[in-house]
Amino acid sequence: MSYINAGYSIALTVLSAYAGQLWWRRRRLERLAARVDPDANR
Amino acid sequence: MWRDALLVAGKDLRIEMRSRVVLNQVAPFAIVVLALFAFALGPDRAPMVQGAAGLFWVAVLFAAVLATQRSFALEANDGTRDGLRLSGLDPAGIFLGKAAAVAVQLIVLEVLLTGGVVLLYGAHVRSYGSVVAACAAGTAGLAAVGTLYGALAAGVRVRETLLPFLLLPVVAPVLLAGTRAWQAALGTGPGGDTADPWLSLLLVFAAVYLALGVVIFGSLQESG
Amino acid sequence: MTRPVASSKRSTRLVRIIGVVAVVSLAATVWLGLWVTPPDKTQGQLVRLVYIHPPIAWVALYLAFGTAALGSVLWLWPRTRSRFWDRLAASAMEVGVVFTALTLVTGAIWGRPTWGVWWAWDARLTSTALLLVLQLGYLALRRVPGDADARARRCAVGAVIAGVDVPIVHFSVDWWKTLHQGATVLNPDLTPTIHGIMAWTLLLGFVALTLVFVWMLMVRYRIQVLSEVLEGAELEMALHERWAEGAPPDGHGATDAGPVAVVDEETPAQVGSRARGEQPAELVP
Repeated sequence: MSYINAGYSIALTVLSAYAGQLWWRRRRLERLAARVDPDANR
Repeated sequence: MWRDALLVAGKDLRIEMRSRVVLNQVAPFAIVVLALFAFALGPDRAPMVQGAAGLFWVAVLFAAVLATQRSFALEANDGTRDGLRLSGLDPAGIFLGKAAAVAVQLIVLEVLLTGGVVLLYGAHVRSYGSVVAACAAGTAGLAAVGTLYGALAAGVRVRETLLPFLLLPVVAPVLLAGTRAWQAALGTGPGGDTADPWLSLLLVFAAVYLALGVVIFGSLQESG
Repeated sequence: MTRPVASSKRSTRLVRIIGVVAVVSLAATVWLGLWVTPPDKTQGQLVRLVYIHPPIAWVALYLAFGTAALGSVLWLWPRTRSRFWDRLAASAMEVGVVFTALTLVTGAIWGRPTWGVWWAWDARLTSTALLLVLQLGYLALRRVPGDADARARRCAVGAVIAGVDVPIVHFSVDWWKTLHQGATVLNPDLTPTIHGIMAWTLLLGFVALTLVFVWMLMVRYRIQVLSEVLEGAELEMALHERWAEGAPPDGHGATDAGPVAVVDEETPAQVGSRARGEQPAELVP
């Protein structure tokens, strides 16, 4: 049974971690973009 | 297209005959690889004979990487590459020509390696037909994919490390099928296995990638 | 030539909605899979992995790689060529790598108690492993510096080469296992019979992971757009600065004043170095 828990945990952890990384990358790039092109309407 | 292919193949092969890079460097390298395998597996003959088919093909794959890199190093200067592009030669022809040249060089290497495997490992070829067919089809496939990736990576600075990483996984089926076909020919495979399904796989592989190359090579040449 | 960077309010809201639904459905799948559904007769508790492993595999192989391959083909075909397809392919491939790796891990976890080993060279695991390497190769190709169009072209062709290989790999590895006469006891079929609430949970699993993929794809696509625009803007600003300084008499000798464009926050390393790298090339006549 511990295998199942391990499996689920790993899957969820990896997905959340990657999702978080994506979200953070997007946020950082949005901020940079706003600086370079501040007239872009949000 | 065919005439352009012959032109390009002839040019590449002539350069090779003059510079003898493949003969003097890649061939010895392949033999060294065989020797390395022997050191790794030996000194008993048994594991070597068992593994001979697979080891042969691994050596061929490594040689294919080198031959492909060499094929595109021939046009390493931007000038020559542009020249080839602007020459008006049919890109499909260029593809086939370069692939053919690589294939010829690989065949020569394979003859050498076959001799090496028979001599060094004591492998016993029972059916030369399968061996020849497997090598022919396998080489065609290797040359096709190699030329495609070679063109893709041409002019890229990290080409030397990138090319093997791109090429080898894609040609894994050739390794797999070639090994199996050879095992059937050497009699070292699992019993009851014939070479035929593997030979057809090699043929399909070669056909698919030759066709793909003919279709797609043109788009790789656009504005370098 | 800075292209507009704004994303419409509607698309941001769509992404957010998809994200929320994805999380909810995934949570529901986990809940159902781990607690509500009954264990299987033959596989016992292990069957619970069927609610996430096959969906992850489906996303990795068909959805992600398929999208990337399709995008690449559409980009290569002159009539449908558009930056959209190239960006879509790149985004799908990157997200795909995560899913493929996850497929291997969950597959191994399922295999361990079933077969007793962490890794068995069975047809599916082996093909998936090869797929992972192919996808990593694509990503490596993506990192090669160069102008956007050349890079797009290289990657698109690379994706097609790899894509054509996938079915061939499947067949060859499959034959490799099945035609092998001395085959070990390996591979009790990993797909159990599913019915009732198990079937619904499985379906939910597919839906949930598909939504997760879609959300990730959309966010990654946005990231792709932004980073491309930024590297263009950075290059522009760097060029402006050079011109403003006045070209030094010995052209090439000048060391890179470097793009001072976007200051404190670190720009993606490759973007910066690409701008620096490209600089001399642009200015040398």
